[in-house]
Amino acid sequence: MENTRIKYGDRLIYMEGVCVDIDDCSISVDLKGRLGFFKAPKRMFVCDVEPKVGQEFGWMMSFPEQISPEINSKYVSNIEKERAKQKEMQARLNNKED
Amino acid sequence: MICLLQLKQHANDPAVLCCRAEAGITIEPANLEDPAIFDELVDSGLLNLDGCLKIGQVLGAKLTKTSDSLSPLTADNMEGYKDSVEEEAPAEEAPVEEYPAAAPVAVAAPVAAAATVAGGVLKIHIGEGKDIDLSIPVGALGGGAEVVEVAPAATAAAPAAAPTAEEVAKEGKVIRSLTRQHYAITEVKRGPETKIEGTVLTIREGIEQEVIDADALIKDFHIEIITPAQYHTYSETIMDVQPIATKDGDSKLGQGITRVIDGAVMVLSGTDEGGVQIGEFGSSEGYLDENIMWGRPGCPEKGEILIKGNIVVQAKTNMERRGPMTAHTVFDIVTQEIREALKKVEDDLIVDTETFEQVRHPGQKKVVIVKEIMGQGAMHDNFILPVEPVGVLGSRANVDLGNLPVCVSPLEVLDGCIHAITCIGPASKEMSRHYWREPLVLGALHDPEIDLCGVIFVGSPQINAEKFYVSERLGQTVEMMDVDGAFITTEGFGNNHIDFASHHEQIGMRGIPVVGLSFCANQGALVVGNKYMTAMVDNNKSEGGIENEILANNTLCPEEAVRALAMLKARMAGEEVKPAEKKWNPNVKSNNVEAIEEATGTKMELVENEQALPLSQKRIDKGYN
Amino acid sequence: MEKVQLLLRQHVGAPCAPCVAVGDKVKKGTLIATPTGLGANIFSSVYGEVSEILEDRIIIKADAEQPDEFVPIDVPEDASKLDMIKAAGIVGMGGAGFPTGIKLNIDLSTTEMAELREDINPELPKDFKLEHSYILINNSECEPGLAHNIAQTVAETDKVVRGVKYCMEITKADKAIFAIKKKNKEAVLALMDALKDEPDITLHLLPDIYPMGEERAVVRECLGVNLDTTQLPSAARSVVLNLETVAKIAEAIEEKKPCITKNVTVRGNIKGGSDAHVFMNVPVGISVGELIEMAGGLDKEDSVGEIIMGGAFTGRAAELDEPTTKTTGAILTTYRMPDLTGKKVGLLVCACGGNEGRMRVIAEKMHGEVVSVCRCKQAIENKPGAPLKCLRPGNCPGQVKNNMQFKKDGCEYIIIGNCSDCSNTVMASAPQMGLKVFHQTDHVMRAVGHAQYRQLTVSKWVNQDINVAD
Repeated sequence: MENTRIKYGDRLIYMEGVCVDIDDCSISVDLKGRLGFFKAPKRMFVCDVEPKVGQEFGWMMSFPEQISPEINSKYVSNIEKERAKQKEMQARLNNKED
Repeated sequence: MICLLQLKQHANDPAVLCCRAEAGITIEPANLEDPAIFDELVDSGLLNLDGCLKIGQVLGAKLTKTSDSLSPLTADNMEGYKDSVEEEAPAEEAPVEEYPAAAPVAVAAPVAAAATVAGGVLKIHIGEGKDIDLSIPVGALGGGAEVVEVAPAATAAAPAAAPTAEEVAKEGKVIRSLTRQHYAITEVKRGPETKIEGTVLTIREGIEQEVIDADALIKDFHIEIITPAQYHTYSETIMDVQPIATKDGDSKLGQGITRVIDGAVMVLSGTDEGGVQIGEFGSSEGYLDENIMWGRPGCPEKGEILIKGNIVVQAKTNMERRGPMTAHTVFDIVTQEIREALKKVEDDLIVDTETFEQVRHPGQKKVVIVKEIMGQGAMHDNFILPVEPVGVLGSRANVDLGNLPVCVSPLEVLDGCIHAITCIGPASKEMSRHYWREPLVLGALHDPEIDLCGVIFVGSPQINAEKFYVSERLGQTVEMMDVDGAFITTEGFGNNHIDFASHHEQIGMRGIPVVGLSFCANQGALVVGNKYMTAMVDNNKSEGGIENEILANNTLCPEEAVRALAMLKARMAGEEVKPAEKKWNPNVKSNNVEAIEEATGTKMELVENEQALPLSQKRIDKGYN
Repeated sequence: MEKVQLLLRQHVGAPCAPCVAVGDKVKKGTLIATPTGLGANIFSSVYGEVSEILEDRIIIKADAEQPDEFVPIDVPEDASKLDMIKAAGIVGMGGAGFPTGIKLNIDLSTTEMAELREDINPELPKDFKLEHSYILINNSECEPGLAHNIAQTVAETDKVVRGVKYCMEITKADKAIFAIKKKNKEAVLALMDALKDEPDITLHLLPDIYPMGEERAVVRECLGVNLDTTQLPSAARSVVLNLETVAKIAEAIEEKKPCITKNVTVRGNIKGGSDAHVFMNVPVGISVGELIEMAGGLDKEDSVGEIIMGGAFTGRAAELDEPTTKTTGAILTTYRMPDLTGKKVGLLVCACGGNEGRMRVIAEKMHGEVVSVCRCKQAIENKPGAPLKCLRPGNCPGQVKNNMQFKKDGCEYIIIGNCSDCSNTVMASAPQMGLKVFHQTDHVMRAVGHAQYRQLTVSKWVNQDINVAD
């Protein structure tokens, strides 16, 4: 793929992983070889049959590259807001449970 | 070698020797390789086009070094080449498919001259001030050249537009009509009772608790009224944008009278109790002004008041089907109360009336629009055919209907028969409001050169076996309709492109020309393809061709509808759509647009993209906050 | 030689009808079959007795004694030269086998230049006309490894030149051009010497690449005119004749000699080495095996690959007991072909090499599984089923697309039959794409000691002065 933002986008690697969780809209996959975990919307998975925990998935991927050293303040602000809100709501939730 | 017929269309393509050529020869078409295969060669490292001259530059120039097959012609091995390629008017060009199918791309024969769009332009003006302008080429199949102005929006008392429109109407057979009565709202406030007085909408205080109490899953609910001055407000991910509309009297959805509020829309957002967004991933939480592509068919218009409900659902149910479904259901309590108030408003508050007629044109080519909607489950669902426009009551969830094709009239689409739960990537999501103003349905409905017979919604299930089950039913449904052409649209990207491709095949194999519309570009590259996917219109409008999290940025807009209509007409007239380049190239769209402008003599105003939104730094300069 | 087998169809057209009966005594030159439609007379090439008449051939048991005398063709005293050619049963000896008497039945002086296809003649003005009309002698000996045309040029220079002059007279052509490869210096010099007082007959020197002898390639090389696949040389006011045919014409007119012999090159896997064995005036109808024996016999019998009748590009596999015909120019014997052990093979079929059937035979003999067949985009089938013709013989249209298709179809090997230029193009991308290339002529080239068709290193243009090296 010709992409001016990343350099190694064409270095495709075959990856495999194991489905560890499925909910109504996403599938979670542990990457084999302790290479991490990801959760992605169901619509991004190609399934011939009903997806189930324990099934293996294969896909091609490349390396995430930094697009630039710049920090996008919009995202930082969103992340901070999200975290603060989640912390607050989580606390409220815990209090309710207590 | 390139044949002479193709030369014109390849003038701007790279010039590469097809076979060994000796120093001193004059470059002729016979010396050049067909550019159609270059992408693949570049991909596989067999070809490097750096510094490569264009075909239009090198023809007639002299080769200075004996070079082998696949040598690019460059300043190093050529002399006497032209500095630039003389441009030819693109008007004679056939439309070019904007996105190539993934697998076996049928190589369509090159078409030298195909005036696919000619004649005048039917201009449709809907609503007032803050509306959608459609420019649809008419006479594409050899019609007249006069410019027709149709203004169905004016008033109910003045149904007549230009005389040509009457003639058109005479030809057609009116099946039914739908009238939207517009009520302007300039202020939304809270008060003891939900009511509309003049242009002020009051929403009852305390309604929040009723929403919360309506279902055990709902843990919290707030209403925020966001005026244009407050657009720079942080919001959780936007789950839907909905028009506020209600049926008048006994009118059924899709016919009779619908009352609709101008100036305010419902916006739903939410999280679970842990603060996790309801919605898939990569949500559009953030500042509204930065995250909404204002003016898209599915989005709020700048200037509108947003009645935003933020719902908190039980922890962890954000990823379960019941979470988002319940959120949508209970939010409708608020909307329904406004609808009830709207029903009571006196007619003298009507500021605008527009009537949509479902006209069949029996003499014209019969066309169906297939709209693929999400049906993988959870928030990948849609409520179909509620009693009220974009309501909940009376509707059936697409997933519960087995994702099977559901036939509706174009007017049902425009009257809000889809309540969209779909929380796919925000940039390509079709909000409920999108269907209310669906550009392709509007374009096809108002095009007297085709006979729009209806719209089919078909869901996209998760697993392939179900996808093909559904797709085969779609094929059979379309077969029975005896149509001459079909549009297939889809929202989002991912495994829904498998059904999208299968729908092309199922319809295409029945000998029916198909034009597809989808977000593709870079990120949404089609997963699969087949030989029937030869005419594609790309909904992408983002600069980088990606899901950029800007609400509705890459959804179907009037400019896509116009291109798709031109393409389908061309295909139904037996013309081929030229195959797209292998890689996404945004220039193809601009060339198609230019070709349409050239042929119609009209400027097509293209919608803006995310580049028009404020940037984080700029908002400080502007004095927000 | 115990017998000859004379096929009733040795030419373009319908099979001839026998006019002898079993038991008839025949001499060299006895008319034994006559045309039933388009065709040419067939004569006995030996002294002997008709032993069998089959549906497709007449078999003559040869006498032990074979005097040189022959029965002259039976024509009236005042017969025209053209009639004598017709009566002698001459056909295109280069391999095409078109009846020469019919080809020459044309008045080139009044033949109009045909309209040329613009896209393949970009350098010519739209209304280009040739001022003269031409007899073009195809002396390119185009198929690699053959030598009998050039040998005849040296041995019978004068006869050949006389033959050309007869053809000019018959067709009222005002010019003639010998098309000969520059590498054959001795023959070129012999011709130049013979032509020093013939201002209307000239030489055109050709590069040593394949194909140069294709009829339209000869026209293009000599006259600079590209004909399309449906046009005959008459469209460029010319008639193209093979060198040996021209000599036969001289013999028919001067000696009233019927067409009963053929010059043949035998080469390849032969005892004593891979040099060419040229046999002049071999009786038509002797067997392939006899020709091989005349050359010395097969060398390593257990490693024989194919025995090919005709050239490496356009010939076909033959059996040892098959008879030769008026158009048999060569017998090429090869070594065993490589074994692809069932690997996936793609065939690139073009007009220059074998047809798809021939390519499939080669693939089968190499034990390759054919999974993909592509056609060179210049190979044009004028009518469904008609032999392919190349739009621009010897000038490649690009082959990458086919290679991409082969790759997609999962081929590991490809077998090509392309000309020098196209083979070179195939090689520009196939190896990089991981496709291993065989040329249909590889086993032949190995046997005749000729370089295999892969990269092209020589120029398509040669200086027309024989004394100037390129």
